[in-house]
Amino acid sequence: MASRFILRNAEPKDVSDILRLIKELAKFEEMEEQVVLTEKELLEDGFGEHPFYHCVVAEVPEEKQTPEGKVVGFAMYYFTYDPWIGKLLYLEDFYVMKEFRGYGIGSEILKRLSETAVKCRCSSMHFIVAEWNKQSIEFYKRRGAADLSHEEGWRLFEIGKQSLIKMSAK
Amino acid sequence: MKYSIRSARAQDCRDIERMIMELALYEKMPDQVKISHKELERDGFGPNPFYQCLVAEVPEERSSAEGHTVVGYVLYYYTYSTWSGRCIYMEDLYVMPQFRGEGIGKALMASVAKVCREQQCVRLQFSVLDWNKPSLEFYLSKGAQDLTDKEGWHLLRFDGEALESLAEEAP
Repeated sequence: MASRFILRNAEPKDVSDILRLIKELAKFEEMEEQVVLTEKELLEDGFGEHPFYHCVVAEVPEEKQTPEGKVVGFAMYYFTYDPWIGKLLYLEDFYVMKEFRGYGIGSEILKRLSETAVKCRCSSMHFIVAEWNKQSIEFYKRRGAADLSHEEGWRLFEIGKQSLIKMSAK
Repeated sequence: MKYSIRSARAQDCRDIERMIMELALYEKMPDQVKISHKELERDGFGPNPFYQCLVAEVPEERSSAEGHTVVGYVLYYYTYSTWSGRCIYMEDLYVMPQFRGEGIGKALMASVAKVCREQQCVRLQFSVLDWNKPSLEFYLSKGAQDLTDKEGWHLLRFDGEALESLAEEAP
């Protein structure tokens, strides 16, 4: 069915598709109401003077497209820094529409990202996965990923806007 | 004045390198430090910086036994949340043991919180080792939430051989 597809860098015209897929992934993670990002912000933040992220999209030919369009998967990433080893590639979101899975789109996206990481002199690629998401954890572990929370004890913390305002006012 | 907080300069990279190693020793992983002040200079002070850094400095008369006046640092960078947009990730926060208890750590974090506000970043994220009780308590007292605990997030990594072989399979 969807055996033919292409991967390409996202363009400004893709922002509505990207937001659609972001919401689909958030729904799967049971946190749909937490998506407050708009198309306007995605456009400004990804394609403005200072891009905050990079994006790769998977597209199927016209005859395979859904009512929503030809873009059926995406990965959003950016570069981070580890003071021990230098540049890293951080994978923020990675999603393929349910009906287009099983055709290798996810694997191809991951390979392309790792190629980008190696080309850009990144020592590794980091990302977070929810511990109940066994399917995704297996997908990554099969390809050689290490669970640093499990192996080294790292816990992810966050300080939200209200606490930040309080802290910066002192 | 007991101390001041300012943006790091290229010349601070040797001090930053020293403190990175001190922090790595505390985290029980000193053999994992592979970069030096050279990479820090290239990657933080070139035309396309990969990180931002603030340092805490004390006056000459308060310098450490070894003569250091740069006694703390915070290293951070911009990230992006597909749910809420611009964020800051605080990669390292460290104050030399003999200069703790004066509010330097708090001041460094408050400075980053200020940057968040100025750059319209909606949140500040960072990671802490599960055995690091003093740091866990410090952050929780500032209103931080443990998302690994609350939402089950785990940090995963592809590196070395795994990353290379993944890349080699690319079309």
